[in-house]
Amino acid sequence: MRHYEIMVILDGSLEERTVAPSLDTYLNVIRTAGGSVEKLDVWGRRRLTYEINKKAEGIYAVIDLHAEPAAVAELDRQLRLNESVLRTKVIRPEVR
Amino acid sequence: MAKAAVLRKPKKKVNPLDKESITYIDYKDTALLRKFISDRGKIRARRVTGVSARQQRQIAKAVKNAREMALLAYTTTAR
Repeated sequence: MRHYEIMVILDGSLEERTVAPSLDTYLNVIRTAGGSVEKLDVWGRRRLTYEINKKAEGIYAVIDLHAEPAAVAELDRQLRLNESVLRTKVIRPEVR
Repeated sequence: MAKAAVLRKPKKKVNPLDKESITYIDYKDTALLRKFISDRGKIRARRVTGVSARQQRQIAKAVKNAREMALLAYTTTAR
């Protein structure tokens, strides 16, 4: 099990309150694979410093979790398939 | 004169990270990272920032990660 931190930028035109529940359904991938989700932190709407897919605003969310590498790779893949996900980043905070 | 320039001792810089006892440089902490980039968004050199080589690498990594996530700018159009 490894500690991961995943940052997701979602389309800014989405409803902010629907973000947490919809991300949570994605996190079931981690839970069924035996991982644990420590924290789901939705930063809220934020201006992007440059446009991504012609969009000037995004909703940021940061997820803290412990899981196997394969489960995280699968979660990242599924997130990228979603059109309203502008960008994702998976980081292992301990590796520096 | 050239000789005077050689003899001049450079001013010792205080390490800004050690002073605030920051051990982990987080790419999400844009307020901190902004101290290490110029007003045009370029990463400042180590001789300017005064941090250790290791910390400078960590800062560079963090800035680049922050740029990817649109937290910091790659370029500034101003000027």
